Amino acid sequence: MQRFIQELTKGLWREIPPFRVMLGLCPVLAVTKNAENGLGMGIAVLFVLVLSNAIISAVRNFIPKKVRIACFITISATLVVAVELLMQAYVYPLYLQLGIFVPLIVVNCIILGRAEAFASKNPVHLAIADGIGMGLGFTMSLTFLGAIRELLGAGTLFGKFIMWEGFEPFTIMVEAPGAFICLGLILALMNFMTHWQIKRRNESTPFVLLHASQMPSCGGACPGCSSGQNKG
Amino acid sequence: MSKSANNDIMVAISVPPFWHCGRTIRGNSIYTLIALAPAMLAAFAIWGIPAIRVVALSVFTAMACEFLCQKAMGQKPSQSDGTAAVLGVLFAFLLPAAAPWWLVVIGVGCAMCLGRMAFGGYGTNPVSAVLVGWALIFVSFPTYMDATSTILLTDLCDPLLRLKQFGPAAVADMSYADLLLGLQLGGLGAAQVGLLCLGGLFIILRGVIRWEVPLCFLLGVAVTAACFQFADSARYAGPLFHLCSGTTVLAAFFLATEDSCSPHRRLPMCLYGLTGGALVVIIRIFGIYTDGAPFAVMLINLLAPMFGLVVTRPFGWKKGDK
Repeated sequence: MQRFIQELTKGLWREIPPFRVMLGLCPVLAVTKNAENGLGMGIAVLFVLVLSNAIISAVRNFIPKKVRIACFITISATLVVAVELLMQAYVYPLYLQLGIFVPLIVVNCIILGRAEAFASKNPVHLAIADGIGMGLGFTMSLTFLGAIRELLGAGTLFGKFIMWEGFEPFTIMVEAPGAFICLGLILALMNFMTHWQIKRRNESTPFVLLHASQMPSCGGACPGCSSGQNKG
Repeated sequence: MSKSANNDIMVAISVPPFWHCGRTIRGNSIYTLIALAPAMLAAFAIWGIPAIRVVALSVFTAMACEFLCQKAMGQKPSQSDGTAAVLGVLFAFLLPAAAPWWLVVIGVGCAMCLGRMAFGGYGTNPVSAVLVGWALIFVSFPTYMDATSTILLTDLCDPLLRLKQFGPAAVADMSYADLLLGLQLGGLGAAQVGLLCLGGLFIILRGVIRWEVPLCFLLGVAVTAACFQFADSARYAGPLFHLCSGTTVLAAFFLATEDSCSPHRRLPMCLYGLTGGALVVIIRIFGIYTDGAPFAVMLINLLAPMFGLVVTRPFGWKKGDK
């Protein structure tokens, strides 16, 4: 049970897919013009990820090792077609908004990555927990990024105008560069928080003495960042 | 760079005597500010209090942002070396005099925080920080950045806008003397073409920037514009018009020459300048925006490391040597 909880929660912060593992960046950058698109895309991925993890984990002992990637893609493609049809039936405007990125879930790195790295090696219940955690993390990240971009770029949140009167929308945020700028700033913030957590956990240890794998960025060697300048 | 057992960086230390040539960042900034001063005063004379307000707010915000970022990043505050002031003045030069205060603050904030400090401070930015801020607000708030739509009580006109809308025949009667004297609509300082040329010559003579980049930049503009005019003089304006209008001169002397974003040997510098100049005219003619100079400079900034790969023949090199 403890293992189950652990696999469930790791995708929510510690290995949150786009911001920490840096997987599936294509939809992250492309469909997060507003919070609603982000949420829709996230839920579609969540659905596919949970089911594909479950199915792949269930049949993991029958798949020949040499053709496993093809099998994973077949399974996820089946599920994505199902999602596509469901979206066409129930949320057609959202389907039109997301466009090509719904079919592209088939080759989304997160789906294949979790299948290869986790579902093909673990029992079904853990694979489902992993899928739910990763999918929720992905949904949260996309909604968060979409909300920031929509708020700054249009002054709205889920379509409702909530900024003050006379607010001038910062239009570049809903354009492509805005996605890169937001993502970069969020990654910087994530790295900063990780640094801070490590620092708080072992206060006596100076930064540069940490093992390189614990440093999410450059390792503190370049003069640009504060960890490089504060050493010693 | 080698590292000792506990991962501290080892720095090679040489023995004295040491000799310092006397050049400092602070000195360079002061010379640049002196070079920009005539254009700034002319802009104040033409546009009055609003221009002073924009420049002052821009410089203050740049310094404040730099200070806050340096505090947050644990660096030593370095407002006294003047690089923030230069950034602020250059940024204000690209704005129309009627820019609202929030536009200036957002633009300079983005320029300083995202364009420069996010990369680690002065000398680390791969793209001119001024232009990063400019591009962000130019794409976001095009109407506020357009001098024609924000400054209404004036007889002056934006030569590039007129060229874009009505073709070269409409700008044929504009006198080059007026353009050189800054009697045109545009960025409040960028329009002071003649005085910016003087300032540019001053910093070249003081050795702050090298002559190759601005000369080749202007040459690139002139040659490309001449080619287009030669092809069809009814559709394309001449080289002198492109040199005297918009931000060409400011870009050539002050933006394209930023230390960290330009290559540093003669041949790469020349290629860098020529490419930039050619891009200015190409973007002006084929792009949707009226002035291509800032975009051209950002593009060549990104290409600068590639130009740096251009190798000149080393001393003593013979054919067949590796």
